[in-house]
Amino acid sequence: MSKRLLLIPLALLLVFSLVAVSCDGDADVTTTPPPTETTVPPPDDYDTRTSIVIGAARPISGPLNMIGDYALGPLLDIWVDQINAAGGLYIDEYDRALPVELIIYDDTSDLGTMTTLLERLILEDQVDFIMPPCSTAFLYAAAPIANEHGYIFLGGEGGCTTLTALLPDLPYVFGVLNYSDYHQIPALADLFVEWGVETVAYIYIADLHGIEYAHTSESEFLLRGIQVVYSEGVPPEAVDLTPQLQAAMNSGADAFCAYTYPPISIFVYGQAMGLGYNPDVFVIGPGANFQFYYAAFGPMTEGLIGFGAWNRQTSPEANALVDLMVAATGDAGLALYGDEEGFLDWWGQLFYYGALQFFEQAIVEAGTLDQAVIRGVMATSTFDTCLGPTWFDMRDGGGGLLALECHPGQVGQWQNGIYEVIGPAANATADAIYPKPPFPAP
Amino acid sequence: MQYLLTSICSLCMVYSGWFIDRLLGKEKRGKWLTSGVLLLTLALVATLPVYGTSYAPILMTTIILYIILAVSWTMFSGPTGYMSLATAAFFGVGIYTAAFMAGDFPPPVFILVGGAASFILALGVGALTLRLRGIYFAIFTFGLVELIRHVLAFIELHVTGTRGRFVFGVDNETIFYYMLGVFVLLMITAYFLNRSKFGLALRSIGEYEAAAAHTGVNVTMVKIVTFAVSAFFMGAVGAIWATKLHYVDPGIAFNPLFTFIPVLMAIFGGMGLLYGPIIGAAFFTLLKEFLTTTLAKYGLGELYMLFFGVILVAAILFMPNGVVGVIQRLTQKWRKGGPVEEHADT
Repeated sequence: MSKRLLLIPLALLLVFSLVAVSCDGDADVTTTPPPTETTVPPPDDYDTRTSIVIGAARPISGPLNMIGDYALGPLLDIWVDQINAAGGLYIDEYDRALPVELIIYDDTSDLGTMTTLLERLILEDQVDFIMPPCSTAFLYAAAPIANEHGYIFLGGEGGCTTLTALLPDLPYVFGVLNYSDYHQIPALADLFVEWGVETVAYIYIADLHGIEYAHTSESEFLLRGIQVVYSEGVPPEAVDLTPQLQAAMNSGADAFCAYTYPPISIFVYGQAMGLGYNPDVFVIGPGANFQFYYAAFGPMTEGLIGFGAWNRQTSPEANALVDLMVAATGDAGLALYGDEEGFLDWWGQLFYYGALQFFEQAIVEAGTLDQAVIRGVMATSTFDTCLGPTWFDMRDGGGGLLALECHPGQVGQWQNGIYEVIGPAANATADAIYPKPPFPAP
Repeated sequence: MQYLLTSICSLCMVYSGWFIDRLLGKEKRGKWLTSGVLLLTLALVATLPVYGTSYAPILMTTIILYIILAVSWTMFSGPTGYMSLATAAFFGVGIYTAAFMAGDFPPPVFILVGGAASFILALGVGALTLRLRGIYFAIFTFGLVELIRHVLAFIELHVTGTRGRFVFGVDNETIFYYMLGVFVLLMITAYFLNRSKFGLALRSIGEYEAAAAHTGVNVTMVKIVTFAVSAFFMGAVGAIWATKLHYVDPGIAFNPLFTFIPVLMAIFGGMGLLYGPIIGAAFFTLLKEFLTTTLAKYGLGELYMLFFGVILVAAILFMPNGVVGVIQRLTQKWRKGGPVEEHADT
């Protein structure tokens, strides 16, 4: 009798297999074709809608939290508060301004959780717009999902050449941040040439971010006749970088770069000080661009280089953003670091806030919450933001990147407690310090 | 709504585990009746994409993933008492198999190959290590996760010059059905394994390995084969899961959490019976979803790990045999002190 019983689950297995195979087994990526602008139909929820809901899966916990909380995270709250304080976003098809509501889910710094929650926001919560997750790899994973569902995907903390290559097939994706070959390493390499740097050593974390920076460095330095005398990948969870730092020091390179994420970026500098390793050029990124880095190392950071870059001197709008950040996070910064600017990120925050202001104006300009229409406005418009005139360079009718001309800077350097922009020259807020001065006596 | 639907479907899956346990037990009454119920419950799960919200099958896919990982881990570690920490290794091998094959082959192929790759890896690793016992075996298996991760990272960096891999996506409904298909296959395998002399030998190893060897059981062979069979399922679901990630690198694929979370789920649910790990996996997945989303709306999302920790400590202190043990005690009381029904280990 029990053998007959077994026929049932076996039959079920067969049925499920047939169902599964008959389902769409097409393994191709679903790419949404470039939308075309259409006449906006009157919204069905004209009378009932009370707000615009924006959702995001972000690292509230887990290792990425250290980046997310100091980069785009606080800006989302500030942006929403600013909009709501002004009465909301006026949407023409609703004939009224609608307040914005923000839903943030914790992706726990896990990629699978992030992709699941992103789909929950889109399918279950049916949010009106989404915001990006944190880190290059997460952006890379989230962008095709957003695009598949026809949601505008504004980039956040990350960017990579690999994703850029996919942009023609991802019309809803708008990359925001600058990154290795767009246009940071070329700007850094130009500075190296100007200073007469002949040899470079670098380490990098073995993930999408680090490997891309390493590859770009190799080619850009080679292009300018700069020799790479030492390079080494380190695992993302590395804690003791002393062997790599010692090897870099032994190489005698003029410049040393660490393409690492915090907290490794903090370990690198602390351990370099312990070894007395202080080359003529010391680059760390991301990490050195955060104000908390200065809070941690103080005057020891003098001459340290990172990516970015912007500061209060970049523009009056940039100065106003710092004031906004201080108003929102100043108390927390004082409590944690004794510095009311402790939550400032001198790499990405001006980029992110500029992109958010751009997005906000595009929504109002479109007069609808229809993603396709807004996407069309974003692809073809220029709006004034804290970055100045802001627009996206679109790629072959697909997605786009924040135009290079809108970038406030590529390379920054700590000088007397200020993260000065030193490259490219057109964006510089101060002359670069070269060579890096010795560590001051403790 | 999705909590209600996925909770009902989770109960259906618990029922299917309970049904297999019942088939393996001594209780003979009403099996045909319960098999009819099994059919209905599985049909209820299988038709979730039809009547559920769009998100319900996605959440259910995650639940089934953890069920499969927890049950397949218990399949080997439960009866033998060998603490394998290699789940993330086999799961990651499946993920990377899909990363290599997903663009060129249909899902059934890379799912099978992912499972087979993990099976073969487990055969090799098992042959090398299953003579080790206790803490040595646990440490070696965990070391395997790190070893494979670093070897792949080295290859990506220095051989292929790549930076992680894009994985071609498959639609959510298809992923759900493949995951469900693997679950059904796992249940059938668990049934045959337990019913056979092989299963008996496995349990005898867990109870007294030396005695089992003296009675003529080829203990090494039995352990290796069971280890490999459980690895097959881990690899197969890894291959399915990869299509949800879109991008993988060694750090993402070989995340140690995929070793520890299924173990905790199995301990919470109880490892003595098949439906124990299913309860643990479903409960923790739903709890995590609730804590990281619903509670996140009130600014409490970051507390989820604290909740997990408190629940696990309480479970280990007060429910040493997991939820299954509590159910058995309650059943015993309900039957006014009657003997606890004997169950085969998974």
